[in-house]
Amino acid sequence: MTAAAVIRAERVYPHPPGAIWKALTDPELHARWWAAGDVRPIVGHRFELDMGKWGKQACQVLNVEPERLFRYRFATGNLDTIITWELVPEGQGTRLRLTHEGFDLDSPLSRQAFEGMKGGWPKVLQRLEAAAVGPD
Amino acid sequence: MMAGMPDVDVFSALANPVRREILMRLRTGPQGASELAHGFDIGRPAVSEHLQVLRKARLIREQPRGRERYYHLDPRPLSKVHAWIEAFDKYWQKRLAVLEEVLNEEAKKS
Repeated sequence: MTAAAVIRAERVYPHPPGAIWKALTDPELHARWWAAGDVRPIVGHRFELDMGKWGKQACQVLNVEPERLFRYRFATGNLDTIITWELVPEGQGTRLRLTHEGFDLDSPLSRQAFEGMKGGWPKVLQRLEAAAVGPD
Repeated sequence: MMAGMPDVDVFSALANPVRREILMRLRTGPQGASELAHGFDIGRPAVSEHLQVLRKARLIREQPRGRERYYHLDPRPLSKVHAWIEAFDKYWQKRLAVLEEVLNEEAKKS
């Protein structure tokens, strides 16, 4: 049941760890797949991610191991969670593991975020369909 | 008490580690109150309070047996939590898929 408060996701990409690391830590690239914000791979660095209708979320970098691990507090004072990205080379590509943890199930904001995400799916799906005509 | 909405919502009930542990223990079958209180260092009255919260959230059912009360797990309200987790799962799966599109675009540039 403790696992209830941890979300995990992973995906294997045909791209090298360096390319993924850049997408995780470069503001311009980061904005294209997730959210705009001054993300930087520097321990202690504070930044905000613009989550659209959920507002700007305060973040702070906790751990940096270039091309291996990137960990930060996400939505401090709101969702109060921690996001960890782990990169593991796999063949010619990279396995990317996400751990999103620290959810307080009792917080109304957690539930609000959940409701918000549910509403956001159709839009994300549309974007995916539009992108699917691209390579791959 | 038997009809209508639960008095305690399932998220609040699960927010406490002792209550989560109680539910974990009840997975293997019903247990008596004294057996359940065993192994927690918070004292029996505190354990009883947690049991009442779980009961009000409809996560456990109480059954008197002689002088003991027995507790049964009822996992049905957990489907709400499952839906919540699934929403986050799907959210991240989508983000990871979009990330691949961006990586492909970047790879084409170089």
